[in-house]
Amino acid sequence: MNAVEGRRLYKTYGELVAVDHIDFDVRERECFGFLGPNGAGKTTTMKMIYGLAGVDEGELRVLGLDARKERRKVKSRLGVVPQEANLDWDLTVRENLVQQALYYGAQADGRIDELLALAQLGQRSASKPRELSGGMQRRLLIARALINQPELIVLDEPTTGLDPQARLAVWDLLDGLKDGGVTLILTTHYMEEAERICDRLAIMDQGKIVAYGSPGELRDRYGQPNLEGVFIEITGRGLRE
Amino acid sequence: MTLAFPSLRMAFRVWRRDLRVFSSLWKGALLPTFLDPVLYLLAMGFGLGAYIASINGIPYKDFIASGLVASAAMWATAFETTYNVHFRMTEYRLYDNVLSTPVEVEDLVLGEMAWACTRAVIYGTVFLIIVALFGLIHSPWAVVTPVFIVIGAACFAAIGLSFTTIVGKVDYFTYYYTLFVTPMFLFSGIFYPLDRLPQWTHVVAWFTPLYHLVLITRGLILGPHLLSVLGNTLWLVVVTAGLFSVPVIWMRKRLVP
Repeated sequence: MNAVEGRRLYKTYGELVAVDHIDFDVRERECFGFLGPNGAGKTTTMKMIYGLAGVDEGELRVLGLDARKERRKVKSRLGVVPQEANLDWDLTVRENLVQQALYYGAQADGRIDELLALAQLGQRSASKPRELSGGMQRRLLIARALINQPELIVLDEPTTGLDPQARLAVWDLLDGLKDGGVTLILTTHYMEEAERICDRLAIMDQGKIVAYGSPGELRDRYGQPNLEGVFIEITGRGLRE
Repeated sequence: MTLAFPSLRMAFRVWRRDLRVFSSLWKGALLPTFLDPVLYLLAMGFGLGAYIASINGIPYKDFIASGLVASAAMWATAFETTYNVHFRMTEYRLYDNVLSTPVEVEDLVLGEMAWACTRAVIYGTVFLIIVALFGLIHSPWAVVTPVFIVIGAACFAAIGLSFTTIVGKVDYFTYYYTLFVTPMFLFSGIFYPLDRLPQWTHVVAWFTPLYHLVLITRGLILGPHLLSVLGNTLWLVVVTAGLFSVPVIWMRKRLVP
């Protein structure tokens, strides 16, 4: 069974076509990436998966469930790391995790300390999120996404805005999760990130999937040394133009 | 767009978060809010009350104290459902996280309403106790006032949440206060009865929730006027139930497009 199946997915915001009839499968236990420039439709696709955007047309199955009709069930089995650090700024680091466990109705005794250790925030559990660095906030977001022991974790630009060292720490965290058997879906506009951690990926541009496969397959198919070259070959422009 | 009944269990989880924050803040930042109605009671009740002996046979300070219980609840609810909800929804993007858990929009709206009611009941009851200490309570029925504060606050919360989710821009929130909350505060019969005002003012007042809550709190504290309490309660319940779907629809438009 695939973790996620999208068929002819379509979504508009008023006049703007955000996602234009895309098809993709995310296999269980793989790390799948949506790669593309800003405005390509990556975030909207992710939001449809985790229930923060409605599906206008097409079919979307997440963990075997219809994402439109069984949203509450789908959400209870997902973990979400959003692009914006939408932490609860009024609560401490520990309380953020305690409250998140409550939203899921999850038993969290003991697990909170485990997650704080995983995110290397054990010493900062009494701090407010504002007192943390950007890298620490991102690790807290990831720890928060793990509170319900999700089968699938959706990460929107997990390393954007982080310095190289903080990015490595996030990659290590993600590697550990994948080894633990969790399916990961992430968006990124960093080629090296996609090459480093994604098993397979979809390159998106203007709401469409323009290429789809493993990084190696894509490089071979388009005869390019890296994904940046693949993107330029397909669209005729750079990823960050 | 389908409207679903909220889950009480999920709404409780939303409410619990607000309680968590309140528990750590109330001693400091939120304390002045308790003093507001006391200031009105002292200035108007005891100050102006020195010149106005009584209204319809009720001593003036007793008259306004019973009305200020209702407005204490209104003010608490107004701030909670406008500025506080706006910040959670738009500035902190807190609801984006909540809605990516099993909590749905209707649960979130009910939870926030429940929290606004909790704040109203805290502020209203503290003021009620102060009123009792001043010896301004005439009826044992006053002990059930908090129940009716919850009902009135639910109505204020439904209106506040509707406004906040529809308007969306914090710059326009002053309109809510200048055109709605403050006029209600001044013209809902807290400071003087509407008897001698033109008939149309009664009609306008009848369409505002504070007018009905004032009649309830006054009915319980000075009464008991139980028939009036029941009639006014019915008004509040019907309006609240009718409005509930408004913030649900608008919040969904904003957060789950």
